[in-house]
Amino acid sequence: MKKFRGFEFVLPWLIGTVVFFIIPLFTSLYYSFCNVRIDSEKTTYEFVGLQNYRYIFYTDEYYTDYLIDTLSETLWKTPLIIIFSLFVAVFLNQKFKGRTLARAVFFLPVIIASGPVYNIISGNIQNTSNEQFSTMFSTDLIGELMRFLGLYNISENTEKMILTISDNIFSIVWNSGIQILIFLSALQNIPQSARDSALIEGADGWDFFWRVTLPYVSPLFKVNLVFTVIDTFTSPSNPVMNRILLMQSEWNYGYASSMAWLYFGIVLLFIFFALAFVRKISDGDSYA
Amino acid sequence: MLKRFWSIFRFVIISALIFIIIYPIIYMFSCSFRESSDMNDPSVIWITRHFTLDVIKETAVVMNLPETFFNTVLINILCSVFQVISCAFAGYGFARFDFFGKKILFGIVIMMIIVPPQIISLPLYGTFVHLGLINSKLAMYLPALAGNGIRSGLMIFIFRQFFRGLPGEIEDASYIDGCNRFRTFLSVMLPCSGSAILTVFLFSVVFYWNDYYISSTFFNDNQTVALMVKNLSTRLSMKLFNSSSVQISPREQIVWLEAGCLISVTPMLVMYVFLQKYFIEGIERSGIVG
Repeated sequence: MKKFRGFEFVLPWLIGTVVFFIIPLFTSLYYSFCNVRIDSEKTTYEFVGLQNYRYIFYTDEYYTDYLIDTLSETLWKTPLIIIFSLFVAVFLNQKFKGRTLARAVFFLPVIIASGPVYNIISGNIQNTSNEQFSTMFSTDLIGELMRFLGLYNISENTEKMILTISDNIFSIVWNSGIQILIFLSALQNIPQSARDSALIEGADGWDFFWRVTLPYVSPLFKVNLVFTVIDTFTSPSNPVMNRILLMQSEWNYGYASSMAWLYFGIVLLFIFFALAFVRKISDGDSYA
Repeated sequence: MLKRFWSIFRFVIISALIFIIIYPIIYMFSCSFRESSDMNDPSVIWITRHFTLDVIKETAVVMNLPETFFNTVLINILCSVFQVISCAFAGYGFARFDFFGKKILFGIVIMMIIVPPQIISLPLYGTFVHLGLINSKLAMYLPALAGNGIRSGLMIFIFRQFFRGLPGEIEDASYIDGCNRFRTFLSVMLPCSGSAILTVFLFSVVFYWNDYYISSTFFNDNQTVALMVKNLSTRLSMKLFNSSSVQISPREQIVWLEAGCLISVTPMLVMYVFLQKYFIEGIERSGIVG
């Protein structure tokens, strides 16, 4: 009996999970190997093996393209979002007038960005492209600025990178609310004693960042990484998800399920490798 | 000198970023109160020449507003309350007890965070058809009651982290005083966990308010505000622009779309203005960090 002490607390959740999560999960896995046909009121499943999966790779002309788009976008956007949020968190951790207000504003997208409103506003901003917002962040202006700063001869790749960032600044800022907050609370956990001893040792802001701040926040890179990857992969605005939903709305259930499962498998692999990569970097960190 | 330069630099960067965040919201306000013809007037940027409340009123009619709004609020509040209760219990179980199979079960909680709802929504739809719950609000309430609402994996995780951070001595004291496990949880642990409860509740409210995917799977007609916004352009062309005498360019339609966004965002904004502190402190205290 002792083995099940406290089991009663998770029992309601467990029942719900079996009904609303486990069973649907395996059903959908089964669907993905089936040809699901819906005739008036009756659904028939015909087991077809890997045919759906083969169709994805050999016949579907959109899926693999969308998949590669999404993957590469996640690949460059995730590190950008994480670095950006660390950067903003460091700023917001310093003392200045209006800090509370600034924090509130940076967290504001969290309550809006998960909804349908985000798609409309980001679409409208792109459509009305002759207005201030876009002019301000237009590629030209950034190019001018770089020329003004004397950055003529930087490599083409760097320039391209800067331009991509400036083009995507809206989506980066709007998708890093939670990450900023997580980093910010880690920064606030840095004890005063660490600051004091750094001051006594004569560290400047730069040293302090690399030798104190970074080791303190580094465990949260993993949390933020997983969060960002899942967030971008499952956002309803990403093209693979749209493709899956389209197939669902055409009652193509078997095919939609196999696309969803393939996608999910790739996401898992992606997270696995990303975590392994982060671990490798933090192991090699000699400061710690 | 360097310090001065640094603070100016910081001010510029932070103001620019704040502008990026605030911009769409100002844009919403600016667009919602102008006539659609202003969209083609290059001299109108922020302040309209023709102030009007008609656009907001028309959009409200298209969105079937008072009814949709109360419907959404009802679903939202009930689901969030259910979600808080069920996830608090599960989170407490995972935090404090070592029952058989706990590791596997907690693995399932992590799975619930990772698996996108798009994978399970189809079979789930089948289940609800079977139970005759399509278009019934129960299709939202039942999963929330059983700890399987929107993003409930995350909520269970937050509660678990929070309860793990509380000292075990208070429970020991309660056991010695003769309370059983439920009594201890309800009258000793829950009163200490106001901040976690508030965090989970607020985030549930936000997620349920913004959700259109799950509700569109279960409801064919029982509309919520998020569904209305999602389908706004179709509904607009059905209800507002359907006579052939009106021709409205996509650029002019922005006015109505932004008005819909404004209607949808306002309750959340108001909530955020008053409870902003709890949103931010909640995440910090709930123990995701550390």
